[in-house]
Amino acid sequence: MELWYTHLLREKLDQDSLLVQGNRASALGALDAGVRFFAGYPITPSSEIMETMARELPKVGGVFLQMEDEIASICACIGGSLTGETSMTATSGPGFSLMQEAIGYAIMAEAPLVIVNVMRVGPSTGRPTAPSQGDVMQARWGTHGDHPSIVLAASNVVDMYRLTMAAVRFAQRFRTPVTLLADEVVGHMRESFSPEKAGRYRLSSGDFDFTENYSRPDLVREVHPPHQLGAFRHPHVTGLVHDETGFPTNDPQKSAEFLRELHDKVAHHRDELCLYDVKNEGRGRVCIVAYGSCARSARAAMDLAQHEGLPVEVLHLYTLFPLPVEILQRVARRVEFMLIPELNLGQYAREVRKMAEQWTTVISMGKIDGTLITPRELVDRVSDLVGKYENV
Amino acid sequence: MTSALDRFLHTDRLPHIWCSGCGAGMVTGAFLRAAAKLDLQKETTAIIGGIGCSSRAAGYLDFGTVHAIHGRALAFATGIKMARPDFTVIVFTGDGDGAAIGGNHLIHACRRNIDITCILFNNSIYGMTGGQASPMSQEDDVSVTAPYGQAERSFDLCRLTEAAGATYVARGTAYAGRELERLIRDGVRHKGFSFIEAVSQCPTEYGKRNPPKGAIAMLEDQRDRSVSVKEAMGMTSGELESKLITGLIYKDESAPEFQESYQRMLERVQQGSDGGN
Repeated sequence: MELWYTHLLREKLDQDSLLVQGNRASALGALDAGVRFFAGYPITPSSEIMETMARELPKVGGVFLQMEDEIASICACIGGSLTGETSMTATSGPGFSLMQEAIGYAIMAEAPLVIVNVMRVGPSTGRPTAPSQGDVMQARWGTHGDHPSIVLAASNVVDMYRLTMAAVRFAQRFRTPVTLLADEVVGHMRESFSPEKAGRYRLSSGDFDFTENYSRPDLVREVHPPHQLGAFRHPHVTGLVHDETGFPTNDPQKSAEFLRELHDKVAHHRDELCLYDVKNEGRGRVCIVAYGSCARSARAAMDLAQHEGLPVEVLHLYTLFPLPVEILQRVARRVEFMLIPELNLGQYAREVRKMAEQWTTVISMGKIDGTLITPRELVDRVSDLVGKYENV
Repeated sequence: MTSALDRFLHTDRLPHIWCSGCGAGMVTGAFLRAAAKLDLQKETTAIIGGIGCSSRAAGYLDFGTVHAIHGRALAFATGIKMARPDFTVIVFTGDGDGAAIGGNHLIHACRRNIDITCILFNNSIYGMTGGQASPMSQEDDVSVTAPYGQAERSFDLCRLTEAAGATYVARGTAYAGRELERLIRDGVRHKGFSFIEAVSQCPTEYGKRNPPKGAIAMLEDQRDRSVSVKEAMGMTSGELESKLITGLIYKDESAPEFQESYQRMLERVQQGSDGGN
């Protein structure tokens, strides 16, 4: 697929690269991935995603809706999704909280949908213009009931573009809502990137090309055939537990099977869904496991530490859920410490600890003052860990 | 149910869940007769229900049907109508689903004047959850959450939706099935947001704590309290107290419909005559 949309923009701008704000890059990624339906509600620090969609979608004949609140926004997106449109909304913490019930509906009704949550410091109104990663566990478990989640995390502007594309592809392929987490700094910073290069990229977890529409839900055994309005005669869609006909069932065996399949379609495809990059593989006694803004600090810290004679490994996670169990355990087996910097009080560190503590010591490094964790802070912590170890 | 209407029903999903004497089936019947008159096409008609007794009607109808989440049927419907302007979009909701939890979406759907028909089954009670007070319970009505009588006032939903911008507003009753059928038929035909309050009865949860007792008496009460719009014009507000003004209450065919306005905006932008600001 030609990235015709950003290409169009570039004709008016720089020939080789775009200097783009993170939130805008997310909107461009969505447009290049074919999203033609957006409904949202203004909220700092995500509003530029919505503003870009308001400006660009009408040019390509898409639907843009500013709804009365975030609940209405995601419900309108589900409505669009039920007609076959891959829909998207964008929000921040308070709006994300309001959307939770409907996210569960989209999981249950298998409605493809992308939600971008540009995180701010919470709880409540918190600090709307300060970065945070406080919504990680809400992204995993925010809606009620046992459910699978696909959660991605963007660390910079190019991620905002390519991971929005990835989120669209995953949503289409697995017929489920996908959440992309960013934070205020990632959303508001400006960087240059080349859309052509960004769409196809190489990671330790594999090579990806999200510029191609590889969505083939029919190839995923656990995905149920869509009940698309207008596509066949009389579909019925419900948030009740239902069987393959779409109609509700209270049959214990059928309902357990259905719910199990919702989980399995994500759990059985972890190898495809879990995007990560390993740097300095096997070179250090400490591995910094990081995502979002913190991963960017971790990569800089790796270089800084190297310079100071302290080799560290970095595991950069682009997919937080489904939990990348295999790579976490592989790294845990070879390092003495896993250091997990987060702009929260250790939400993801707890997940990693469950996977890794039988092999390694998992150290949480949380920060909630609304500033980023600097590379220096990370190197000092690594040095501290290694020093302690040597003194034992 | 006559066999002519069976073609619009998932007969394999019957019998329905409603209690005997419930008005939901009567309102649904009026809709089915209107659907037959309108010759609604199954492929291009979407019916969206929220949560509650009334909203379950969607599950028995052989159209594209969505059983949405509580209070949000109109938000789902807005997305569907915008993505598929060729669809006839109809929302079934209740007084709890539409006027309480979904009240915000109701007024905004009215304000947009989007071409959706909303049929609100008003039985003045939360039936499915066991008889709690709703915003349409009248003062002094007894319910499990107002055991000493309702202290709050209720809405006049027709005045509310008219003020919010709906361009077709009507009230009918389960008792007057033919009139309700006509109001629904005209509402679906109307281009713009159509709101039809269908006054209904819940003998199980409302009727067991409030007079009159029994479905028949409740239906007769609907009949006795109904006054036509024309009759109401000659009555004082005192005389109209506790009356149900039925019929077509408001209609405006000149107001712009949202979907069409949106399409015109798209055309302007795509022709390059509007570069935005």
